[in-house]
Amino acid sequence: MPTRRFDDVHEGDELGPEDWFLAKDRVRDYARANDIAFPRFLDDEGARAEGLPGMIAPGNMSMGLLVRLVEAWGGIGCVRRLGTTFRGVVLPDRTLRLCGAVTHTDAAARTAELDVWIESDEGERLVIGTATVALA
Amino acid sequence: MALEFDRSILGQEFDRVEREPVTVDEIVAFAHALGCTEPCYLEPGSGLVAHPTFVVRYRGRRFLPDSLPDPLKTRMSFDAGKDIDFGVPIRPGDRISVGAALHDVYEKTGRTGTMTFVVVRFVIRNQRGETVATIDNRLLYKD
Amino acid sequence: MILDLHVHSERSDDSRAPVEAYLKLLQRKRAERPIDGLVLTEHRQFDPRRDFRDLEDRYGVLLLNAAEVETDYGHVLLLGVNDDILARFDFADVRLPAQDVVSEVWRLGGVALPCHPGRPTVGLCAHYEARGPLDGVVAVEALNGGSKRGEDARVAELMARYGYAGFGGSDAHLVSFVGLVATEFEAELRGMDGVVRELRAGRCRPVDFRQRAAAAAEGG
Repeated sequence: MPTRRFDDVHEGDELGPEDWFLAKDRVRDYARANDIAFPRFLDDEGARAEGLPGMIAPGNMSMGLLVRLVEAWGGIGCVRRLGTTFRGVVLPDRTLRLCGAVTHTDAAARTAELDVWIESDEGERLVIGTATVALA
Repeated sequence: MALEFDRSILGQEFDRVEREPVTVDEIVAFAHALGCTEPCYLEPGSGLVAHPTFVVRYRGRRFLPDSLPDPLKTRMSFDAGKDIDFGVPIRPGDRISVGAALHDVYEKTGRTGTMTFVVVRFVIRNQRGETVATIDNRLLYKD
Repeated sequence: MILDLHVHSERSDDSRAPVEAYLKLLQRKRAERPIDGLVLTEHRQFDPRRDFRDLEDRYGVLLLNAAEVETDYGHVLLLGVNDDILARFDFADVRLPAQDVVSEVWRLGGVALPCHPGRPTVGLCAHYEARGPLDGVVAVEALNGGSKRGEDARVAELMARYGYAGFGGSDAHLVSFVGLVATEFEAELRGMDGVVRELRAGRCRPVDFRQRAAAAAEGG
């Protein structure tokens, strides 16, 4: 149920940023929980055998983290739509920065449009996207 | 080389599958892996629902329609991103079906060279016919 | 006058930004990103019917229509696209011949500007090393808002070696990133003709507002 009130939301409001350490064990847990326990998501050697620089996190996991960011802001179940583009590999055992900003509000629909993105610890944008969020 | 195929197959469902009922363990394991702490995603009981992105677990038996050219089928694909429209939440016991259709195919170039993007749309429903999610999956195939 | 010369709207396949949302952000953040106009450089397409006059009037900025095409020397921004240029090239082709694009677009009244030249595969630097330079390039994107570390540094060497002018663009695909990098022109510009004229003459320089924006964000 959305908890953030429409009247309290303004274009330009920011979500986070939230820094989150992505541990390798958590990536493995996610891969197993999703039946995608492929080598690239389990260890560095397996990933390199696939031509990757090392173990990577699934793109879907990035989406999950972004929904966590948005729900922490807007309430459980507030996300109506999420669109993402995976621009760079997300390497585990690093700190990710989860970011968001309100770009538009719709009074008739009582929704907000958000930019959401994930940056690496070097400031590179690994995942970019937008979300439509229902507001109370 | 540009990909040639019969574009009339766009929008046509090429796969449909019904999955085993969703279990409490699956829902909770998924939420744990994401680091969720909310009781509604973790505590068994009448209030337990799957995290919204639980829907990305679902896919068909086939990645692509049979009528797409063989070169694509033999190349490794990468997940380039997704667009998800969320519907009703998933609860334990739900029987989820996935219908897949080819939505778009296009080429572009990037840091890693020329790429073919294949967009496969999943429509995910529960046993009551309610839409749980519509997902446009963008798969990237490198030349 | 400061223009963001490289912006993607929701018409580009990997952007999710309505044009008006860009303008609203620039209005809010005028102090840190003093942008006077945007050039919409959609991927592999150009729609001559796009009409921005209403938005220009409401927001007091210049909005210009352009394209980003893909060639055998990487990506190139095409400004001053007219019917002749549209007829000459298939903008959806990801393998356009770069030399033809540069020469013919110039001949037909526009200007072709290699973008993110330092980027692997789709930037000029890598192709120049392998195949030699193109004739007729006058300016390259010295600063691109989407560049990874080191990519823009390679461009400085390219510019020095070949005498290219430099410009800047955000390469924004999300509203939040518009105007962080842009191009400053000495002249007052009222439309695409003036922008093309100044770029052809190399009377432009890149400007970088990222530090200013970051400082403003920290300041709350």
